[in-house]
Amino acid sequence: MKKILAIVLAALMIAGCCVAFSSCKGNDGTIKIGLSGPLTDSAAVYGKGVANAAQMAIDEINEKGGLNGIKFELKVMDDVNDKTKVQNNYAALVDWGMQISLGCVTTQPALEFKTLSATDDIFFMTPSASADAVRSEANGYQMCFADKKQGVAAANYVNGLGLSKIGVFYQSDIDYSKGIYQEFRNNLSGSITVVEASFTNQTKTDFTQQVSLLKDCEFIFMPIYYQEASLFMTMAKDEAGIKTYYGCDGLDGLDTVLDLSTIPQAITMLTHFKADANDYAKTFVANYTAKYGTDTLNQFGASAYDCVYAIFGALKKAVEAGKTVDASTSASEMCDILKNQFNGGYEYTGAVTGGTEGKVKWTADGFVNKEAQVHVLKEANS
Amino acid sequence: MEFLTSLLNGLSSGGTYAIIAIGYTMVYGIAKMLNFAHGDIIMVGGYAMFSTLLLINQPVVALIFAIVFCMILGVCIERFAYRPLRGASPLAVLITAIGVSSLLQSLAQIIFGAAPKMPTRLQISGAIHIGSLAISYGTIVTLAVTVVLMVALTVFVKYSKVGRAMVAVSEDRGAAQLMGINTNAIIAITFAIGSALAAVAAYLMLMKAPSLTNTLGAMPGIKAFTAAVIGGIGSIPGAMLGGVLLGVIESLSLSIPVLAPFTDAIEFAILIVILLVKPAGLLGKTRREKV
Repeated sequence: MKKILAIVLAALMIAGCCVAFSSCKGNDGTIKIGLSGPLTDSAAVYGKGVANAAQMAIDEINEKGGLNGIKFELKVMDDVNDKTKVQNNYAALVDWGMQISLGCVTTQPALEFKTLSATDDIFFMTPSASADAVRSEANGYQMCFADKKQGVAAANYVNGLGLSKIGVFYQSDIDYSKGIYQEFRNNLSGSITVVEASFTNQTKTDFTQQVSLLKDCEFIFMPIYYQEASLFMTMAKDEAGIKTYYGCDGLDGLDTVLDLSTIPQAITMLTHFKADANDYAKTFVANYTAKYGTDTLNQFGASAYDCVYAIFGALKKAVEAGKTVDASTSASEMCDILKNQFNGGYEYTGAVTGGTEGKVKWTADGFVNKEAQVHVLKEANS
Repeated sequence: MEFLTSLLNGLSSGGTYAIIAIGYTMVYGIAKMLNFAHGDIIMVGGYAMFSTLLLINQPVVALIFAIVFCMILGVCIERFAYRPLRGASPLAVLITAIGVSSLLQSLAQIIFGAAPKMPTRLQISGAIHIGSLAISYGTIVTLAVTVVLMVALTVFVKYSKVGRAMVAVSEDRGAAQLMGINTNAIIAITFAIGSALAAVAAYLMLMKAPSLTNTLGAMPGIKAFTAAVIGGIGSIPGAMLGGVLLGVIESLSLSIPVLAPFTDAIEFAILIVILLVKPAGLLGKTRREKV
């Protein structure tokens, strides 16, 4: 009896191993793209937007015949916007045979992903993790503006407004706000006078003094997060001297804590996605809405859609130049091919997030270079 | 003119610090313990007002409810968390206070969530213009409330029976007990008064800056504690002086762009300097110790 049991167990073990090996790194002829993002919990709306839009782009590419007949495949793992989940997700994706990645959707997990993927030399392009450090390894790219680059884009916009004086309200003890502000200041025209007010994590409960300082500035640039912005705007709502607020992506979510109609001033923000910026964006919005509805339609998804097409375009260009890209190309070879393209002046046309022209390029240091859009959250009350 | 505006803003925030600092200093003076949960009682007061406003849209009713709620909470904390530890080492009491602080913050986050609440109904806007100087109603209300409360407290402590009992307990708890003073009751009353002041401080803060999170009282609490130490912990006039001084320094520092990022460093550096020169604080009593 014992012998039979032992033989049965041994047979089961061998069968198990066979199954495991067959699923491991099994190549079914597709190029595999992996993604880790929040599909549940409070940030799920971003993760789902990204997953849906990336899948939509892949479906479209596959329908048109893929890359010279080779199809693409997407696998998405849920990280609940928790960086401690990333390691497992990453291991699972590598086991699955991931050759290229869209990284993570949110910043903290993305920084973890960056470190892991750098060791294995796997190329990733995140649609939405904006910290500058995401780009600190050679294999990591962004479709969204890196934090500091938002400062450059914001300064270019403000330079074009013809103002002689502006106010700036920033948080001096976080890299996001300080970094954007420094770049903004470096690129701002010298003819514009800047009235500066700042706060720290320790002085963020009362902005009386800062409102006093900025109350005569018609235009206030605030590269801060929406929680503090909402307090400043509420405290300064009676200041008739202030006409317009202008922020960066940190203002995303302002309407979740603040009834915007109670603020008389105009509120605008710098963004890379506007639903009507170009024809590509219009088509994307129409197709996405038809397929998934409007609940998860956001700039994160639009950016992911662009990531997939940009990677596809870069691979196509490499193939045209004589490189071999197929389902058996290793992740590290894929990384080299894509790095050469993105650092070598590759321009992606047809971008949903590429401004009026729909064009996206990458600078020699690998940062994204595209036209920033102004999104009007709210017009000024008349 | 800008200097005057900053000064007024500073007096206004200093007034709020002073009210919180009095809570710290009274509890320290009488119970000889640092109630680090004091800042969080401000936060609870804020949420109490916010919740009342959802039911009855009357700021005054909300304020009264918050005061009563905070007084009960303060007395309960003292009864169940601190009284069992009377006589225990000061370190045990300190850790308990920090524990109570975390408990209150976590509970608030569980009940109300992490996103800030904006009780804009409490906001007082508008200003009186004197020439080019604009004094907001918020500043006027804060200063008025601060002055009235300080005078009332001073009179209460000096002339009422309970007040004098408080002084007696703070001077020598054992002797006060021998004289027939119910020290437990006096300490409970002290917590009630301190907590009521915390609720008032919550109102003054939200009236100017209506954004409420579970850490609303954390930083103002630490600042007010600093103010109490600058003024001389245990001394009510000292707490007032320290609070106003700290508020003015903070406001002036924030008004100078180069110094603004270092505001906290400046405030705490001044604390260190004052303690070096006058270890007991500006108005603190120097005790002689026989060795």
